[in-house]
Formats: sequence, C-alpha cells, structure tokens
Amino acid sequence: MTIYISGIGLSRGIALGDAHVLDRLQPDVSETRLPEGRVDDEVARYKAALRSAQEQLHSVLEQIPRGTPQDIREFIDTHLLMLNDAPIAEAPVKLIREHRVNAEWALKQERDALVEVFDAMDDPYLKTRRDDVDHVVKRVLTALAQHESGTEQPEPPSLEGRVIIADDLAAADVAQFQRAGVAGLITEFGGPMSHSAILARSFRLPAVAGVHHARQLLREHDALVLDGERGVVLSEPDSRIREHYEKRLRRERRYFSGLGKLKGRRAVTRDGTRVRLQANIERPEDMDLVREAGATGIGLFRTEFLFMNRAKPPGEEEQYEAYVSVLEGMRGKPVTIRTLDLGADKQVDGGRDTEGTVATNPALGLRAIRLCLREQSLFRTQLRALLRASTHGRVRIMVPMLTIAREVFQVRHLVRALMRELKQEGHKPAEEVPVGGMIEVPAAAVSAPLFAKYLDFLSIGTNDLIQYTLAIDRVDDTVGYLYDPLHPSMLKLLQMILEGGRRQDKPVAMCGEMAGDLQYTRLLLGLGLRELSMHPGNLLEVKRVVTGTDLTELPPFIRRIQRTTNPGSLRAVLREMNE
Amino acid sequence: MIEDSITIINRLGLHARAAAKLVNTASGFRSDVRLSRGSREANAKSIMGVMMLAAAKDTELLLAVEGPDEREAFEAISALIRDRFGEDE
Repeated sequence: MTIYISGIGLSRGIALGDAHVLDRLQPDVSETRLPEGRVDDEVARYKAALRSAQEQLHSVLEQIPRGTPQDIREFIDTHLLMLNDAPIAEAPVKLIREHRVNAEWALKQERDALVEVFDAMDDPYLKTRRDDVDHVVKRVLTALAQHESGTEQPEPPSLEGRVIIADDLAAADVAQFQRAGVAGLITEFGGPMSHSAILARSFRLPAVAGVHHARQLLREHDALVLDGERGVVLSEPDSRIREHYEKRLRRERRYFSGLGKLKGRRAVTRDGTRVRLQANIERPEDMDLVREAGATGIGLFRTEFLFMNRAKPPGEEEQYEAYVSVLEGMRGKPVTIRTLDLGADKQVDGGRDTEGTVATNPALGLRAIRLCLREQSLFRTQLRALLRASTHGRVRIMVPMLTIAREVFQVRHLVRALMRELKQEGHKPAEEVPVGGMIEVPAAAVSAPLFAKYLDFLSIGTNDLIQYTLAIDRVDDTVGYLYDPLHPSMLKLLQMILEGGRRQDKPVAMCGEMAGDLQYTRLLLGLGLRELSMHPGNLLEVKRVVTGTDLTELPPFIRRIQRTTNPGSLRAVLREMNE
Repeated sequence: MIEDSITIINRLGLHARAAAKLVNTASGFRSDVRLSRGSREANAKSIMGVMMLAAAKDTELLLAVEGPDEREAFEAISALIRDRFGEDE
C-alpha cells in the first residue's frame, strides 16, 4: 500500500531510495561505574571520540560549496573551537578519572552544567546558544558510540542512495550525508530558513521537513519517493507511480546540467532584446537563493514578514537593519521594497475595523496603502527606515493596492516631508528614491495612464488583479475553478497597463505568480513586458525560455490570442507559441 | 598589564560566532587575555568562557591583557569589538 505524507519542501528535487531511519539524536545516557583498570581505556576512548568529531567538522568545512553564506562556515568553525575548549576537551576527562564513570556520563554532566548557565541568561538570543553546546555534545556522543570499548564495531551501513529520516539535522550532518551520497533527507522538524535547509539547497540535495511522526510512519528499507519541491513523501509506491517519478528524476538531471550554465548569462532574447529578470523575496534570509539564481535586482521585497507573528510592530531600527542587509547583499542592484501590505488574508489583529465590527470583505477593506494612510505612525516609521536605508543601495519604494490618484499624492507628500526631516537630523538619504506603485486593483489598471504620470514605475500584481477582476476570493476553494490568468479581461487589462506606461514613458514590471510561470513567459514578452520579478527558484527556468525566444516571431500568436474567445483554443495557441 | 573597560555594541552581543572571532583574535597573541563582567571572569582564549559571560548588546566588560605583546593584543581585541565583529550592525 502506498502511503502519502506531506510536509514542507526544503530543497527541490526528486529522490528515490530506500529509507534509513536515524535513532533519536540525543541518546539516553546512563551512568556506569568503571573498574579501576578500565579508567585509562575510557579516557583514551573519550579522546579518540573527540578526535573523530574534530576530523568530521574539518572535512565538513572543506566540503561546503562556494557561494554558501559565510555564516554557515562560521558556525562550524565555532563548534570546532568549542570541541577544543576545556569544558569539552578536558573537564570530562577529569570526571572520568575522579569518579570512575563512563565517558558519556561525564560529558553529560558537563553539558548539563553548561546548559544551566545558558538557561539562566536574560538575553533571549544568547540563551538559545545552548543549542550550540548541544550540537557539539551530540557529535561527541555519536562518536563515542562508534568507539565502543572492547567490542569491534561492525562497518556502518553504506548510505549511498538512501533517503535519511531524522527528527532534525544540523548543517554539518547535511554536509556529511551529502558526502556519503544519500539521495534525500526527511526531517520531522525544521523549516526552510534553517542552516541545514540552506545547505541542502546549495548541494541540490532534495529535502522535506515538517513530516511529523516520520520515524513511526516509515520503516527502515521502505522504498521511498521524495518530492522536495512540493514537500511530498511517498512510501512503497506502486510501479506506475515509481516510473512517473523516475522519469521526472531523469528529466530533472538533464535539466539541471543545463541550467547551471545560464546563471552568469544575460537574459537576452535571440533577437537581442534585454529582459530584466528580478527576484521576489520575503526576508533577508532569501538572499542566498537570489545569488544562486543570478537575479539583476529585487523586484518585490514583501515587508509583511517583519510585522507578522508579533505583538508590536518592529521599530525603525529593526526595519532599517533588515532593509540594509538586503541592499548590501545586492551590491548596488535595484531593490524594490513594497510598503506594508497587511490586512485581508494577512491580518495583524483579527480583521476588525476600528469600530469593532467584523469586516465581511477584508480583501476589499482597510488594507495595504489604505491601512498605512490611516495608521500614519506605522507608515512613517517604515518610510523613515526605507529612506535611511537608501544610503546603502538603490532603494525603490513600491506602494501596494493603489486605487485613486490621491493616495499617490499623499505618499509623495509624506516621502518629501520625511526626507527633509531626516536630512535635518543629519541622515544622508539618496537624492532620488523612486516611488512606484502596484497595479492590482482593476480601477487602477483601467486608469493606468494617470498612475503612470504620477509614479516613477508600475508593477503588475497579477494575483490580486485576477481576484478583483474576476470577483473570486483567493481563499475560497469553491470558486477556485474561475481563477484564470488568461481570461480575456486580464489580457485587456495587461495591455491597458502596458499602454499607460508607454504613454508616460515609465517602466512597467510584473511581480505576481504569472511572472514566474514558464507557460506565460512568451505571452508576456509578446505583450511587451521586459521586466519580470519572480520567486528566485523559477528565475533560471524563465531565463532559459527568454534566451530561446525570438520576439519577432511572437506578434502573429499574440494577435490570434487577442482574437480568440474560446478558452480551449486560446490554450492551444499558447502551447503552439511555446513550442 | 593594560586594563580598560569596553562596551559590546553589536546587536546580537557576544553570541557564538562573535565569541569565536574574539577567541581566534586573542589566541593569536602570547599575552594572557582576560575578560570580566562583574564577578564573572573568563579567559578570552576559551570560547565557552567568553560565551558564558552572557554579554548582550550594551554590556560593559573589563578587558585585561598581560604579556610580551599586550599592547598589540589589546588594540586588536578592542578594535574587533568596536567594529561589531564585522557584523552589519
């Protein structure tokens, strides 16, 4: 019987292999008294385990691929220092000798004493550094198990081609498994921004996290299929499913062997037109993906993550730091930062309006720029942080959900006032900070020339534009069947927005889902878009389509698409154009 | 011996990686380097010791260096702390 489990995709790719279930990471350590004559052997065993742990970390360091963020390397360096430091390297030896106890127990005593000090710390960040102690201790305990005194250890099983199942993994573990040639990783815990996840992506090692109870549900040597993109694990798949994934795996291998070469290449069409491919990010940690994809800029930095899951909004300093870290990471390439887009499906405080009544249509309610203009202190803090950050790179401010021109005037007015204020305080914001807007409300799309006149750039947010134009709630599955980026109304609106930009000579970009969807790339180029911003994971694939496209061949297809009224034949033309 | 107080100014304080940089710097000198915070004192060449100081941002520490290269050691370590351990903020 095939078992289907879903988790969180950490690192894309397909893996097929036999399961290898890892034991609990922190083995229960019990105390054993040693006979007098065994003490020296035990000390020798402990020292041998320390040496193995050090050797492991040294080889992990050598193995980390270039381009991996420096802090992963620094973490491993830190753990090496900890291994060599007296509390780990010497104190347990003393305990073994004085109390005649086993090495595991001696190390555990020392670990508990260290952790106690960390737990008593006030600073919440420093407190969590007890995790570093635990990582190091765990590594030595594992090495001790392999230096079991007296008995000859059987050769550990080969992990080549296996799928590892663990509760959680440290970055160093990921590196070791990669070297052992494993096919993929499944963990019960962990998230996409952990060091292990970042490293798994650098290695292109497929990984899925958040698979609760994986170690109970899956057994040693189960045949597994893992889809790291969709976060899916299949156990004991039947032959048809297996063949399907084997085919995808072969395709993926061919694909990646070609994609790597595209990273340094410019996105130029066969007829020589340059297309800007930019990345959408949610948090500074996404920057490693952006570098890997070779984006020419950030087309959409969603700032909501800074504001979510917390009681109080972040202050100016905290926001400033987040923006600066992205700007510095981009080294002078443009970074388009969208001002707060809270409200609707991303609530700060439960979706009540100020009178205390429940908004029945939050997507049409007080959200995004509407909320910001109403809660000016919130908005001022963000704009000040953005303008201050402009000293460190090319900031472009992007305002979401514009509906009427007055919103633009109000934002511009506020930006000018804050600019003066900051200069008086001695800050040095950039002389020109472009202010652009998201065109995602149909009213703004229809009056695009007006918005293009007063803004420095436009960016089309397709997700909301489709939801508002087709009157479908994005979170209501029962109307999901109506969601269609190719609805004739959408094509007309896209043309109107592009025409508006052309008339005012202002650039128009697209940053919604549609921009990163390969099947629409040629259509968008044919309609006249030259700037697409997408999830960094899609960028190289879109680049491949761009570099394989000749713009002069597109107009006949576009004309046919614009004339077609039947959705079925429209899709057929699209397929023909994509061939 | 050179002794002076110095304040930790990087946002995350003397966390593991910052402590590692400090230890690596101190270990490059022959002098004895000690850091103390109130009654707690640590050998600046021991990472655990440095981490155990629990020095968050704005903590004031006493840096004491004694030995043949004390001047250089003192300069290098205080420069590292002033430079926020090379972190952005």
